[in-house]
Parts: sequence; C-alpha cells; structure tokens
Amino acid sequence: METRIGIFICDCGGSIKNIDFSTIKDKIAKIPHVVMVNLASNLCLDEGKEELLSRIKSDNINRVVIAACSPEFKEHIFQQLLEKAGLNGHLLSMANIREQCAWVHEGDVTGKALELIRMAANEALLLEPLEKREFAVKEEVLVVGGGVLGINSALQLSRVGLQTILLEREVDLGGENREFEALWGTDMSSMVKAVEADENIEIITSAEIMEIEGEVGDFSVRIMKGAEEISRSFGAIVFATGHRVEDIAPGLQLKDNANVISQHGFAQMLQASTTEPGPKTVGFVLGFSDGNSRFSTLATLNNALACRQKWDSEVYIFCKNVEVDSEGVENLYRTTRERGVVFVKYGDFPKFSIEKGVVKVEAKDIFAGEEISLTCDLLVTDEILLPAEGTEALSSLLSMKMDARGFHQDENVYFYPVASNRKGIFFVGDCRGNLDPNRALADVSSAVMSAYELLSSGKVVAEVERVKVDPQKCRTCLTCIRVCPHGAIQLVRMSNGDTDGENEVAKISDPACDGCGICAAICPAKAIKFEGYSDKQILAQVEMIGAS
Amino acid sequence: MSNKIIAFCCEHSAYLAADLAGKQGLHYPENVRLIRVPCAGRVDVTHILKAFEKGAAAVLVVGCEEGACQHSTGNTRAKERVNYSQTLLQEIGMDNRRVEMVNVAPGAPHKFVRIIKEMNEKIKEVGEAK
Repeated sequence: METRIGIFICDCGGSIKNIDFSTIKDKIAKIPHVVMVNLASNLCLDEGKEELLSRIKSDNINRVVIAACSPEFKEHIFQQLLEKAGLNGHLLSMANIREQCAWVHEGDVTGKALELIRMAANEALLLEPLEKREFAVKEEVLVVGGGVLGINSALQLSRVGLQTILLEREVDLGGENREFEALWGTDMSSMVKAVEADENIEIITSAEIMEIEGEVGDFSVRIMKGAEEISRSFGAIVFATGHRVEDIAPGLQLKDNANVISQHGFAQMLQASTTEPGPKTVGFVLGFSDGNSRFSTLATLNNALACRQKWDSEVYIFCKNVEVDSEGVENLYRTTRERGVVFVKYGDFPKFSIEKGVVKVEAKDIFAGEEISLTCDLLVTDEILLPAEGTEALSSLLSMKMDARGFHQDENVYFYPVASNRKGIFFVGDCRGNLDPNRALADVSSAVMSAYELLSSGKVVAEVERVKVDPQKCRTCLTCIRVCPHGAIQLVRMSNGDTDGENEVAKISDPACDGCGICAAICPAKAIKFEGYSDKQILAQVEMIGAS
Repeated sequence: MSNKIIAFCCEHSAYLAADLAGKQGLHYPENVRLIRVPCAGRVDVTHILKAFEKGAAAVLVVGCEEGACQHSTGNTRAKERVNYSQTLLQEIGMDNRRVEMVNVAPGAPHKFVRIIKEMNEKIKEVGEAK
C-alpha cells in the first residue's frame, strides 16, 4: 500500500510566535510521500479534532505527523483520534515544536522547527501498526508474610473481592511486631481471628516459596510446606516480609546481661507484667544505629511512656536527636517529656558499665554541658533495622535488585510506593525500608488498590509484539533474559521451520514488558525489534539532522 | 560545518525536563536536536556513531539520575555504551569529549539547560563537525 503522510501543524492558539508557518508549509509539502499539510490553530480542541478526523479520511492518509506541543502532553489524545478515524493509533509521529523549540529559543526558529518536522516525517515512514490484545489474569493474590501488614493486606484484598492466599514462614500468624500492638493501633488476636474466619482467605503456615515463574496475571508459584509441595498460580503477589532487628548496637558490649534488654524484649515485659513492681530506673538508648530508624524512635517513646504510666519508674532517654518525622511523633515526644521522662542528649557515645547489678551510664549532656552519671536498673537498647532473613534469596528468585542496605525497592522515585520493577509484584512496609506504622499501613492500601486495579476486570490490555524477538535471528545467547529489568523474557521452544527439530529462542511477554528497549540495544544478533523505537526509526531521525 | 548536538533523551526524565524548560521559559542554544527514547538504555553505540557520521558535532545521552532509573539499569548501561563510544572516537582520532552521558531528573529543567550550554562550550573547544 502506498504510504500517504499527512502533516498537521498547530500554532497552539497563537502562542507559537517565532515560527513562520507558511514557509514551513511550502517546504514540507515537497517531502516525498507527504500528501497534505494542514495548518491549525487549536488541534486539541473540538474544531481541530474534527478537522483532523475529516482530513485523515478525505485524503486517505495512513501516516500522521503532528507538529505541536510535546508528545508527553497530548500524544494519547491524538492516538485515540487516529483510532476514531479508523487508523492504528501507533501510526502517529509527533514533532515537539512548542516546548522544545518555540518556547526555549529566542528569535526566529523556523529552521529548527522545519528540521524537527522532517525528523518526525522520516520516522513516520517506518511506523508499523500495533494491535492491542486482552490477556486473561488470575483473580487471585498471594500475600507473603503473616505479620500485621500481611494480615492487613489479606483482609483488605478479601474486602475488594479478590481471593487471597496468606503465606507464613512460621507456625503462627502474627509476625515480629506482636508486642507493639499499641503502635499499630490494632488488636492482633482479633485480626488473626478475622483472617481465619474469612472465606476469601486461605492460610498456609510453616511454608516457604521455592520458585516463582511466569508474569503479571499468571505467576506460578511452588510452595513447600514441610515435605508437601503446593503449586498454585496467582495474578499478583504482595510481599510483606518485614524486617529483622539486631538487638544491641555495636560498641555496647553488654550483651547477655540481665539488666540490658531490647525494645522488643522490653515491650514483651510490659505486656506480661500485671501487678509486681517494675524496675525503678530505666534508661533507653537511641541513635546507635546510623540514622535513627523511625520505628525504633516510636517504640522507644511509646515504651518510655508506658513504663512511666505502669510502674512510675524514673525514665531516661539517651539520644543524639529524636527524629520526629512520623505523623504524631512530635506530640508523642512532648507528652513523654510532660510525663517526666528525661532526655539526655549526648555528643559522644555514652560509656556503659555494669556495677553491682545495675548499669552505670556516663554521658555528657551537650545542653547542660555537664557530665552525667546515672545508674539504671534496666537499660533498653537501640535496635538496628535490617532486611529480613531470606531477602537476598527472594530477590534472586525474582531476579530483582536490592537497595544499598539490602532491602527491597527502597525509595525509588519512580516505583513508589509499592510497585516493583516487575509488574504484578508489590512490596509493602518494612521489607522495602525504614517505615513507621502509618506509612507501612498506607503501603498496604496502596498495594491492594494496585492489585485490584490490575486484576478486578479479569484481564490486562497490552500491545502485541511491540518488542519482538525474531526467532530466525535469535542465537539463544540469553543476554536479553539476563538484562531485562522486568523479568519479561523467557525461553520458549519453537519449531525451526524447515526441519522437524525444535529451537529454544527468547520470547518477550507482552503484558510483562514495560518497554525500555534495553534488550533491543544489547542483543548481539540484533534480533529484537522495538516498534516505535527500532534502530531504523531512531536512525531515521538522526539522518535528518543535516538535511535542511 | 555543523555545530549540532544530538541529545538522546529518556522519556521518563530528560525529555520531561526539556519540556519543563520550555514551559518555564528558559532558554538554551538552538543547535540541539532531541530524540526521544524510552530509556537511556535503548541507545546503542551505533546510534551515537551514526549521529557523528551524519554530521553532529556532539552527542548527549541523557538519562535518569543514578539510582532512580525507571528501568533499574538503563542509565548505567547507557553510561557503559557511552564510555565505549568514547574509546572508539579516540581510536579514530576524534576528541572523545564530543560524546557524553549525563543524568537529569524529570523536574530539573535548569540542569538540562546547563548541560546543553556546557556542551556548547565544549564544542567551542573541540571545534565544530567537519
């Protein structure tokens, strides 16, 4: 079929003043295959859209070039228009003559605009249609981790109508943070009951994941429960695998002493004791880990307050700075002070020693400027937040990167808050870094929403073979599989045409592909074509730089 | 003689920064041509070399800030390819300062403008393309 390019130029309601559109119109009309050039004033408004529609039809255009604002801005709208005109939405190439030409340069930029349009037109010649297809997804979610966040995730998923399996490594649900119910504002036992009673939720305990294969909408997961093997498939997976804490910070050589206890241990002690008198003097240490963790600050303040209320003990908190960036913590800090908790802000690390069954703390208060020597019946140490056991194994199972501290997906500005580089896999709460309960619970809601959005309609829509491996050229070197950041490429068996034999070749999953093109750039056999950003299409733009 | 700069711009960061420069009314020299790519990692050595073949005075590959690549490793791979292109340029006796990998966040139009200006300064030093 003959290629017929139609070029639509928009002056954005007169806001583009330094381009001479009539000169451009005359010049680009002479480009091969260009059958029409249309000057419009408001292409994105109703009158402009109608004109675009009618001209596409009347001039029988099959490639459209729009020279207007940035494609980031209105490309999707123009694509929809093309589809309305009976053309594949992908047969559109845009020249950004507004943000990246007229608005950033002073003086006349007709020459540059002309070149940008030539680049777009040259690319348009090579565009090919891309079809969209629906891919069925399993409306079932796997939640890994039966702690407070896992249970919350499962309950919320069930509430939005998704079947959920809750997987826990230990024998019981509840996780690490059972002692900190007050912090989470939840009652763990009633939550466990609720999750057990829920018909949409199936609980598997004492089980571990051995293998995860597949892609968004259809992950097949092999789970081992003792010697029993369970194989199931899921549309999405939510990881709420939490963190682990290390009790005593390095430098504090008092481990295994009865008078020194961790935050978690202290919280258990508070829960367990009913009437007997508690320790008379209690010291807390904060700031031994590099950068206070939000959770340990919160736990310290809560424990200190509880300790004042329950036992009326003298409470000292040795800290550098109390970091109050979580919601409500400034208030908690004030309340703690008002209730008589003493904060000692040290410059250098305090010295700790055991004397006659009590812990002696020597510190210099930098505000009072005085050396302080105190004896505490009980010293509660700082905790360092570390990635949960098995984080590394899980990451390699998923072929995912960890952050510098070994957590999953911490603070990537693009993936925030919970999505990962693989579609359909979400990380919530402490497994992705240093979070306080409010933020972690927000994560849960966010992941549940994302899973619901993904699975509730029973299908995902994706472009078919936007990035495609040519099986004839593929040499099965596995380079693409190794580099794909989205785990979207797999080996498949394919008959090699002329003989009866079969070859193994790489195949890209359309729903899992995020369209980065790293594979297309790296493939040594140049077997991968990325429609829209293929080598030819990129080079077609490059070729035009000297052509004006 | 040409002083043109080809800038391969990641659509998640640099391209957006360039758009923002337009919206904020910042100005940079006219000689740069942006080519939108889905990720800096899409840019291949052949694309860079082709640009020089077609008469570009300099080539920029502009991707996301380090550690913030939408596609995890795209910007680091682009960096490797740019480094390789530099060695190739050196081998054929061209100044390897003509090709550079830079990182720009989507909300950093001033940095984008600065990069274009700096590249223009470099072109003054190393000369325009013949």
